[in-house]
Amino acid sequence: MIVSCHAMTIGYGSKALARDLHFAVKAGEICAVVGPNGAGKSTFLKTLLGLQPALKGGVTWHGEGAPTRAYLGQTDEFDSQFPIRVRDLVAMGAWHGLGFWSHVNGAKQQAVEDALAQTKITSIADQPLHECSAGQLQRCLFARAIVQDAPLLLLDEPFTAMDQTTQANLLDIIESWRQQDRGQIIVLHDLNAVRALSDTVLLIGQGESCFGKTQEVLTKDNLVKYGYYSPMQAAWLEEGAIS
Amino acid sequence: MSLSLAFLEFEFMQRAFVATSILSLSISPIGAFLVLRRLSLAGEAMAHAIVPGIVIAFVIAGLSVVSMLIGGIIAGVIVASCTSFLARRTMIKEDASLASLYLISLALGIFILSSAGSAIPLKSFLFGSTLGIDDGTLILIGATATITLFTFAFLLRPLIMATIDPVYFASQYRFAPLIHQIFMFLLVLNLLAAFKSLGTLMAVGLMILPATSARYWVRGITSYLVLTFCFAFVSCWAGLIISFYVSQVPTGPAIVLVAGVFFIISLLISPLGFRAR
Repeated sequence: MIVSCHAMTIGYGSKALARDLHFAVKAGEICAVVGPNGAGKSTFLKTLLGLQPALKGGVTWHGEGAPTRAYLGQTDEFDSQFPIRVRDLVAMGAWHGLGFWSHVNGAKQQAVEDALAQTKITSIADQPLHECSAGQLQRCLFARAIVQDAPLLLLDEPFTAMDQTTQANLLDIIESWRQQDRGQIIVLHDLNAVRALSDTVLLIGQGESCFGKTQEVLTKDNLVKYGYYSPMQAAWLEEGAIS
Repeated sequence: MSLSLAFLEFEFMQRAFVATSILSLSISPIGAFLVLRRLSLAGEAMAHAIVPGIVIAFVIAGLSVVSMLIGGIIAGVIVASCTSFLARRTMIKEDASLASLYLISLALGIFILSSAGSAIPLKSFLFGSTLGIDDGTLILIGATATITLFTFAFLLRPLIMATIDPVYFASQYRFAPLIHQIFMFLLVLNLLAAFKSLGTLMAVGLMILPATSARYWVRGITSYLVLTFCFAFVSCWAGLIISFYVSQVPTGPAIVLVAGVFFIISLLISPLGFRAR
């Protein structure tokens, strides 16, 4: 077990977004966080990152304190106009613990080159960031997360606006992280991707939450109860109009 | 001495050249990160917000650099805190609350300065004067440059990360919230250091214009910082010479106008200006 929480309430100020939240992630496990817009999925990630205090309860880290957590946020949190090369952005994953003066070299430099190759962006490594497409930028951020070598990764909607080729490449990386026994918590909207990828699901909505094995949680009744589908969408589901 | 170098014979001009050269070194990284962090207008607002602090200090203690520094910092902290408080507790966002408070501050500062029958002409206060650069001001500029450059040497990496990806940065470093406060403190310190030579209205011009001009030319952060300094340095020297030869022109607008010429030229002919679109 890497992290768990029991009866936790998340939210901002005095406004609770989800109460009585139960959740756990083991090494090598992928947990998908699913819910309608505004349910508190990103707030949940920020609570795990220590950026947003839980309103009640808290996060339990199973190990010697909180481990290094790689975070890959939504693209609108990111400034792609900053004058920096792709290679330097990827090397940021090695900055932690480097101090103020040391340079990224030796094994860390090799890790940067390997991450560039794994995400297929070696050819644009010296290109400035503002010349990257959305897909290339997402590959850069995945490469930075690879370099960070963290036991727990938190990804907020990593496939939004990605083409099929990029998405397939990023899915391979997520699979390699699973094989390396890293825990992953991924906010996803596409239920097909959730079913294909995740071992467990945390479904958040209507101020409540539900956690368990993917197949057990992603039932039509649950998706309606937690506000992911409207009752009308559920009726269409029964008729087979949508999947 | 030929006409072109006559200005170097005067001690006040020598002081002005030394002061603005050091100031360029100190102010340019602040300006570069104001532009990169999209805080250019916040910098402008802060320059006006510190006016009442400087004026009250001047009225109480006269032309003392230390008292003006303390007054300016207190005013800056009060306005920054009130802005953040209003943004959190009311429906008005940070930009609107900062704009409201800096306008009140500027009006209050000019009101106190005028009603107290100040010994400093209002024009010098607002637009700067080479005559105001005494030993105390030179020491303040030197100390500010030392503090700024050392802080940047230590905090450049965190500042870059905080600018590119603030949530990721906050998730990796416990001291993340401090970075913005330290940066705003350096901003106020540099505005105070620039106040006598450039005036309160023009000080932020030397921060922003060289930085926006340089942004049109460069692809990397190191070259950006170096070019911002070059534009600031040349603007200061050219502006001082112009204000020396054209009578009645204060130094602040002369320097900022030269920086403005660099901006327009960069916009027109640089690879990332109009030509890039």
